Amino acid sequence: MGKGWCLFFLFWPVAAVASCAMAPFVNWSFPYNNAQAASNLGIRIDGLFYLILVITALVFIGTQAILVYALWRSANNRDKRAMQIHGNHKLELIWTIIPGLILLFLSIYQMNIWADFRIQKYFPEAAVKAPLAEVTGRQFEWRFRYPAIGKKLQQKPQSDDLHSVNELHVPFGKPVLIQLRSDDVQHSFFLPALRVKQDALPGLQIPVWFEANKPGIYDLVCAELCGWGHYKMKAHVIVESESDYQKYLKNLTQQQFYDGLGKIASQEASVESEATEK
Amino acid sequence: MRFGLSRLILLLLVSLISLPGCEQPPVQFVFSKKTNELMPEAAKPVKEALLKQFGNPFALNQFEDLPTDFGDIQGTVKSVETTEKDQPLIHFQVTGLENTYHKLQGLPLEWTSGKGQGQVSRIKSYDYETSTVTIEKSAEIAPQPGETFLVECVRLQQGRDLYNRHCMHCHGMSGEGTGPTSRYLNPPPRDFRLGIYKYTSTKQTSKAQEADLSRTVKDGIAGTYMPSFKLLTDDEVSAIVNYVVWLSIRGEIEKKLDDELFLDYSKEQLSERTSEQGGETKEEVLEELKEFMELDFPDTLEFATSSVAEAWEEANLEDAIVIPETPRVPDTPESRERGRKLYLSDKTKCATCHGPQGRGNGTATHDFWTNPATNQKYPNRGLHDIWGNQLSPRDLHRGIYRGGRRPIDSYRRLFAGIKGTPMPAFGGSLSSQELWDLVNYVMSLPYDGNR
Repeated sequence: MGKGWCLFFLFWPVAAVASCAMAPFVNWSFPYNNAQAASNLGIRIDGLFYLILVITALVFIGTQAILVYALWRSANNRDKRAMQIHGNHKLELIWTIIPGLILLFLSIYQMNIWADFRIQKYFPEAAVKAPLAEVTGRQFEWRFRYPAIGKKLQQKPQSDDLHSVNELHVPFGKPVLIQLRSDDVQHSFFLPALRVKQDALPGLQIPVWFEANKPGIYDLVCAELCGWGHYKMKAHVIVESESDYQKYLKNLTQQQFYDGLGKIASQEASVESEATEK
Repeated sequence: MRFGLSRLILLLLVSLISLPGCEQPPVQFVFSKKTNELMPEAAKPVKEALLKQFGNPFALNQFEDLPTDFGDIQGTVKSVETTEKDQPLIHFQVTGLENTYHKLQGLPLEWTSGKGQGQVSRIKSYDYETSTVTIEKSAEIAPQPGETFLVECVRLQQGRDLYNRHCMHCHGMSGEGTGPTSRYLNPPPRDFRLGIYKYTSTKQTSKAQEADLSRTVKDGIAGTYMPSFKLLTDDEVSAIVNYVVWLSIRGEIEKKLDDELFLDYSKEQLSERTSEQGGETKEEVLEELKEFMELDFPDTLEFATSSVAEAWEEANLEDAIVIPETPRVPDTPESRERGRKLYLSDKTKCATCHGPQGRGNGTATHDFWTNPATNQKYPNRGLHDIWGNQLSPRDLHRGIYRGGRRPIDSYRRLFAGIKGTPMPAFGGSLSSQELWDLVNYVMSLPYDGNR
């Protein structure tokens, strides 16, 4: 093989590394302009991601460097013929044990985060005690059911429950738990900004907790192809202060029990526009 | 070489041939079944009138006298690009269109000053970045810097674009409810062309308010495939509603014209009239039709337009809304009991359809009913709506409220009925208190513990 081929095989790994390094600067990385995760758990999950990225990057660069070096050396030494060998116990042991150790390290290292996120025993107690809402995915929208102010979320719908669609309000700075359900097919509750993703399965009620660390309006999308209208299944999660949240619930109560007399309709409009401005 | 030069050329040719296929096919508003059942000579003026008043999806027309926000925008010619004599197009830069919707292709442009005053051109293309309008050359117009014009239907076009993106795949290009995804849906998407909407806040005889349609778009209809479009802005929703109402108006005017002509000039009628029993010749029928078209059709068209426009205007007045005379009766066991008795009474006959337990399985669902439009029995048992779809009375235990779950929504359903369905209006026969008792009873059903 000529030196041209050496350069060819050098070019691709360099291009791959360069495009990865460039990604955060041209908005190809994490969503919302590579913004930091909006939850502490999300930041820890990103930490895992970066750790794995560094390990795989080192391995990739190392193996590619060795490959190019081997090509280059033999290109400079054309008289020497390549030699066929069959098996090398030592080498095989090395390249089995080292990745094995890396995987073992990763699986032990991530256990805490996984447990905090998914194992119900480790869910924040405050959130488990008073679930915020029931979230139901259906073709093709998200529907939310909050308990009445001062009451607890029940398994079965109650007459004083508060309902909304495609707009979930969440108090900021405290862990919240939602009960995830599906009305029809599989959906997936995906909050990219908070790094939360959980499939919703028909017939199951799955608790999911998250804690936003900064107020804002975040996208809630469906991450499981659920039918022809999958792309329509987009909602907003509005993270706001506890007092704003209570105000919202109060307003929702008034709207929902509106009997056609009085002036709630105008309030409704003003609150809505505030939410979109934020 | 296996993959020879000839194959390469073939490959290139195939891609060349497929290129013209990418062009936008001409899209037209469809005409109703009834229009197509008219004899061709009678259908032609109807189609022409609709085309003149409404245009086509990609060449909208403005027709005054409609309660539609067409959104005309005034602009001024800044400079005209000089072009060759034999060039068929004129390009000119304009001012005044900077803050409007940026897609103006296909819209009518009416000259309001200069040589072409009163002439209407079609915008061939519009470049928002450079504010350049392209129109076809014609002898009557010669745009000069400083001349003014109106671009018509800008708001309607914005609504059309949003509608085509979000709604068209179910509700169809003309609002006829047969878009490509409609075949997967039950209940089927609404056909807007009757101008009837089920979940409204208005009285029985009124059309829907714009606010009602906006709410349906924003909140969706629970229990159906109509999803919530809450993330659209208020402005976008109102543009969509504006367009949907305009589609409804088009369909309603078409229907009124059809109704006028159908008794005498349908294909079926023609063959009957020219049969031996009818004894007329085709020429006689055509002569009569011609006379009608000359003498009566313009008035018919005008009357159809104004009556439809008026109905939509009236629906948006404040006194079209159903507002209860008394506030909600407190939701007590006594009130629910009064409601239950009313529900079972002969006065309301709720149980006939909704069943004695409110499970939507009343005796009416086992009968064969007559289609009021054709006076023939439906082929299936059970109730039907005016769109011809079979319709089961709501199971009141499910806790799903298509028209909204506020008490006022249920009150309005009872007061004004559900338009286009057999659900009758009780506004006349029941007092406000009685209606609230019924609301309290019905709304307690999903939570009564026997689920």
